[in-house]
Amino acid sequence: MSEERRSSQGRSQGRGGNRQSSERGGGGRRGLFRRRKLCKFCVEKIDYIDYKDVRMLTPFVPDRGKILPRRISGVCATHQRQLQSAIKRARQIALVPYVTD
Amino acid sequence: MTKPRKYELVYVLSPEVSEDGVTELHKQVEAIVARFEGQIERTDNWGRRKLAYEIGRHKEATYVLEVIDGSGDLMKEIERRLKVNEQVLRYLVVRVDEELKAADRAKARRQAETDRRGARRRTPDAQSAESAASADAGEQVEE
Repeated sequence: MSEERRSSQGRSQGRGGNRQSSERGGGGRRGLFRRRKLCKFCVEKIDYIDYKDVRMLTPFVPDRGKILPRRISGVCATHQRQLQSAIKRARQIALVPYVTD
Repeated sequence: MTKPRKYELVYVLSPEVSEDGVTELHKQVEAIVARFEGQIERTDNWGRRKLAYEIGRHKEATYVLEVIDGSGDLMKEIERRLKVNEQVLRYLVVRVDEELKAADRAKARRQAETDRRGARRRTPDAQSAESAASADAGEQVEE
Protein backbone atom coordinates (compact mmCIF):
# COMPACT_ATOMS: atom_id res chain seq x y z
CA MET A 1 0.00 0.00 0.00
CA SER A 2 2.86 2.38 0.56
CA GLU A 3 4.25 1.39 -2.81
CA GLU A 4 2.28 4.06 -4.60
CA ARG A 5 4.53 6.90 -3.56
CA ARG A 6 7.82 5.48 -4.57
CA SER A 7 8.37 7.78 -7.55
CA SER A 8 8.48 11.16 -5.87
CA GLN A 9 11.29 11.54 -3.46
CA GLY A 10 10.07 11.44 0.09
CA ARG A 11 7.55 14.21 -0.30
CA SER A 12 4.31 13.27 -1.92
CA GLN A 13 1.04 15.01 -2.31
CA GLY A 14 -2.32 13.53 -1.52
CA ARG A 15 -2.82 11.46 1.55
CA GLY A 16 0.81 11.09 2.44
CA GLY A 17 2.18 11.91 5.83
CA ASN A 18 0.58 9.15 7.79
CA ARG A 19 2.32 5.81 8.14
CA GLN A 20 4.38 7.35 10.95
CA SER A 21 7.76 8.85 10.34
CA SER A 22 9.25 5.46 9.63
CA GLU A 23 9.35 5.87 5.90
CA ARG A 24 12.40 7.65 4.67
CA GLY A 25 15.03 7.50 2.02
CA GLY A 26 15.45 4.18 0.36
CA GLY A 27 13.29 4.97 -2.65
CA GLY A 28 14.45 7.98 -4.54
CA ARG A 29 15.44 7.96 -8.14
CA ARG A 30 18.17 5.36 -8.15
CA GLY A 31 17.06 1.91 -7.06
CA LEU A 32 13.62 2.04 -8.50
CA PHE A 33 12.25 -0.97 -6.76
CA ARG A 34 13.85 -0.69 -3.41
CA ARG A 35 11.59 -1.85 -0.69
CA ARG A 36 10.54 0.79 1.77
CA LYS A 37 12.04 0.18 5.14
CA LEU A 38 9.71 0.08 8.08
CA CYS A 39 10.38 0.81 11.69
CA LYS A 40 10.53 -2.54 13.40
CA PHE A 41 9.33 -1.11 16.68
CA CYS A 42 6.34 0.62 15.13
CA VAL A 43 5.36 -2.51 13.27
CA GLU A 44 5.62 -4.71 16.32
CA LYS A 45 4.03 -2.04 18.48
CA ILE A 46 6.78 -1.85 21.03
CA ASP A 47 6.34 1.16 23.28
CA TYR A 48 9.28 0.76 25.57
CA ILE A 49 12.67 -0.37 24.39
CA ASP A 50 14.15 -2.13 27.34
CA TYR A 51 17.88 -1.95 27.85
CA LYS A 52 17.77 -5.30 29.62
CA ASP A 53 16.39 -7.12 26.62
CA VAL A 54 19.57 -8.03 24.81
CA ARG A 55 17.81 -9.98 22.16
CA MET A 56 15.93 -6.89 21.09
CA LEU A 57 19.05 -4.75 20.94
CA THR A 58 21.60 -6.97 19.23
CA PRO A 59 20.20 -6.63 15.69
CA PHE A 60 20.98 -2.91 15.99
CA VAL A 61 24.52 -3.42 17.17
CA PRO A 62 26.41 -4.93 14.26
CA ASP A 63 29.80 -6.63 14.49
CA ARG A 64 31.76 -3.49 14.97
CA GLY A 65 29.79 -2.62 18.07
CA LYS A 66 28.44 0.61 16.68
CA ILE A 67 24.80 1.55 16.75
CA LEU A 68 23.17 0.85 13.42
CA PRO A 69 22.18 4.14 11.77
CA ARG A 70 18.57 4.60 11.05
CA ARG A 71 19.20 5.22 7.40
CA ILE A 72 20.08 1.56 7.24
CA SER A 73 17.70 0.04 9.72
CA GLY A 74 14.70 2.19 8.86
CA VAL A 75 13.83 2.77 12.49
CA CYS A 76 11.76 5.90 13.05
CA ALA A 77 13.20 8.90 14.87
CA THR A 78 11.30 8.35 18.08
CA HIS A 79 12.32 4.77 18.38
CA GLN A 80 15.89 5.38 17.29
CA ARG A 81 16.21 7.82 20.16
CA GLN A 82 14.88 5.29 22.62
CA LEU A 83 16.99 2.56 21.10
CA GLN A 84 20.08 4.68 21.39
CA SER A 85 19.70 5.28 25.09
CA ALA A 86 18.79 1.64 25.65
CA ILE A 87 21.96 0.50 23.93
CA LYS A 88 24.05 2.97 25.85
CA ARG A 89 22.64 1.73 29.11
CA ALA A 90 23.17 -1.87 28.12
CA ARG A 91 26.77 -1.07 27.33
CA GLN A 92 27.39 0.23 30.80
CA ILE A 93 26.57 -3.09 32.35
CA ALA A 94 28.33 -5.13 29.67
CA LEU A 95 25.25 -6.55 28.02
CA VAL A 96 26.24 -4.98 24.73
CA PRO A 97 29.79 -4.24 23.58
CA TYR A 98 31.28 -0.79 23.17
CA VAL A 99 33.68 -2.02 20.54
CA THR A 100 34.52 -5.34 19.03
CA ASP A 101 37.30 -6.28 16.74
CA MET B 1 6.12 14.20 50.90
CA THR B 2 7.20 13.82 47.36
CA LYS B 3 5.81 10.84 45.64
CA PRO B 4 8.09 7.85 45.36
CA ARG B 5 10.06 7.28 42.22
CA LYS B 6 10.69 4.00 40.60
CA TYR B 7 14.22 2.91 39.95
CA GLU B 8 15.81 -0.08 38.39
CA LEU B 9 19.08 -1.17 39.84
CA VAL B 10 21.25 -3.69 38.07
CA TYR B 11 24.46 -4.83 39.61
CA VAL B 12 27.07 -7.05 38.09
CA LEU B 13 29.01 -9.20 40.49
CA SER B 14 32.32 -10.86 40.05
CA PRO B 15 31.92 -14.56 39.23
CA GLU B 16 33.87 -15.52 42.32
CA VAL B 17 31.03 -14.36 44.51
CA SER B 18 29.10 -17.36 45.79
CA GLU B 19 25.35 -17.75 45.98
CA ASP B 20 25.55 -16.78 49.62
CA GLY B 21 27.49 -13.70 48.71
CA VAL B 22 24.73 -12.70 46.30
CA THR B 23 21.99 -13.10 48.87
CA GLU B 24 24.18 -11.30 51.38
CA LEU B 25 24.47 -8.29 49.12
CA HIS B 26 20.78 -8.41 48.39
CA LYS B 27 20.13 -8.27 52.12
CA GLN B 28 22.34 -5.24 52.42
CA VAL B 29 20.41 -3.50 49.68
CA GLU B 30 17.19 -4.51 51.34
CA ALA B 31 18.37 -3.02 54.63
CA ILE B 32 19.20 0.31 53.03
CA VAL B 33 15.87 0.38 51.25
CA ALA B 34 14.09 -0.34 54.52
CA ARG B 35 16.05 2.35 56.32
CA PHE B 36 14.98 4.95 53.78
CA GLU B 37 11.41 3.70 53.82
CA GLY B 38 11.46 2.56 50.26
CA GLN B 39 10.19 -0.66 48.87
CA ILE B 40 11.60 -3.41 46.71
CA GLU B 41 9.08 -4.21 44.07
CA ARG B 42 10.85 -7.20 42.69
CA THR B 43 14.20 -8.86 42.57
CA ASP B 44 15.43 -10.82 39.65
CA ASN B 45 18.58 -12.86 39.64
CA TRP B 46 19.69 -13.42 36.09
CA GLY B 47 22.40 -15.75 37.21
CA ARG B 48 25.71 -15.98 35.47
CA ARG B 49 26.01 -14.61 31.97
CA LYS B 50 28.74 -13.83 29.53
CA LEU B 51 29.95 -10.27 29.49
CA ALA B 52 29.96 -8.37 26.23
CA TYR B 53 33.47 -7.22 27.03
CA GLU B 54 36.01 -8.16 29.63
CA ILE B 55 35.93 -6.32 32.89
CA GLY B 56 39.25 -6.64 34.59
CA ARG B 57 40.05 -10.21 33.75
CA HIS B 58 36.51 -11.49 34.03
CA LYS B 59 34.63 -12.90 31.09
CA GLU B 60 31.39 -13.67 32.83
CA ALA B 61 29.52 -12.37 35.83
CA THR B 62 26.40 -12.62 37.93
CA TYR B 63 23.62 -10.13 37.25
CA VAL B 64 20.97 -9.06 39.71
CA LEU B 65 18.11 -6.70 38.98
CA GLU B 66 16.12 -4.93 41.65
CA VAL B 67 13.15 -2.71 41.04
CA ILE B 68 12.89 -0.21 43.84
CA ASP B 69 10.37 2.42 44.82
CA GLY B 70 12.00 5.14 46.80
CA SER B 71 13.65 8.52 46.99
CA GLY B 72 16.73 9.85 45.30
CA ASP B 73 18.58 9.86 48.59
CA LEU B 74 17.96 6.17 48.92
CA MET B 75 19.48 5.46 45.55
CA LYS B 76 22.37 7.73 46.34
CA GLU B 77 23.12 5.72 49.42
CA ILE B 78 22.88 2.44 47.53
CA GLU B 79 25.18 3.76 44.85
CA ARG B 80 27.68 4.86 47.43
CA ARG B 81 27.69 1.40 48.96
CA LEU B 82 28.00 -0.41 45.67
CA LYS B 83 30.82 1.83 44.58
CA VAL B 84 32.81 0.82 47.61
CA ASN B 85 32.10 -2.87 47.28
CA GLU B 86 34.85 -4.74 45.51
CA GLN B 87 32.64 -7.59 44.42
CA VAL B 88 30.55 -5.27 42.32
CA LEU B 89 32.05 -4.94 38.87
CA ARG B 90 29.37 -2.66 37.50
CA TYR B 91 26.11 -1.23 38.59
CA LEU B 92 23.47 0.82 36.88
CA VAL B 93 20.68 2.85 38.36
CA VAL B 94 17.94 4.01 36.04
CA ARG B 95 14.87 5.95 36.97
CA VAL B 96 12.06 4.33 35.08
CA ASP B 97 8.74 5.73 36.31
CA GLU B 98 8.51 8.49 33.75
CA GLU B 99 9.62 6.31 30.88
CA LEU B 100 7.07 3.68 31.73
CA LYS B 101 4.43 6.36 31.99
CA ALA B 102 5.38 7.63 28.56
CA ALA B 103 5.20 4.11 27.21
CA ASP B 104 1.75 3.63 28.69
CA ARG B 105 0.64 6.87 27.15
CA ALA B 106 1.94 5.81 23.75
CA LYS B 107 0.07 2.58 24.08
CA ALA B 108 -3.16 4.30 25.05
CA ARG B 109 -2.79 6.73 22.19
CA ARG B 110 -2.30 4.00 19.68
CA GLN B 111 -5.25 2.10 21.05
CA ALA B 112 -7.42 5.18 20.74
CA GLU B 113 -6.24 5.71 17.22
CA THR B 114 -7.00 2.22 16.03
CA ASP B 115 -10.45 2.53 17.57
CA ARG B 116 -11.07 5.76 15.77
CA ARG B 117 -9.72 4.48 12.51
CA GLY B 118 -12.09 1.58 12.69
CA ALA B 119 -14.97 3.97 13.33
CA ARG B 120 -14.41 6.22 10.33
CA ARG B 121 -12.48 4.31 7.82
CA ARG B 122 -14.02 6.06 4.83
CA THR B 123 -12.98 9.62 5.64
CA PRO B 124 -9.41 10.18 4.51
CA ASP B 125 -9.55 13.83 5.59
CA ALA B 126 -10.21 12.97 9.16
CA GLN B 127 -7.60 10.29 9.00
CA SER B 128 -4.76 12.52 7.89
CA ALA B 129 -5.75 15.14 10.45
CA GLU B 130 -5.62 12.44 13.05
CA SER B 131 -2.18 11.23 12.14
CA ALA B 132 -0.89 14.79 12.09
CA ALA B 133 -2.21 15.24 15.59
CA SER B 134 -0.66 12.04 16.79
CA ALA B 135 2.66 13.00 15.23
CA ASP B 136 2.51 16.20 17.26
CA ALA B 137 1.73 14.31 20.40
CA GLY B 138 4.63 11.99 19.69
CA GLU B 139 7.03 14.92 19.81
CA GLN B 140 6.17 16.08 23.27
CA VAL B 141 6.60 13.04 25.42
CA GLU B 142 7.51 15.11 28.45
CA GLU B 143 4.91 15.36 31.18
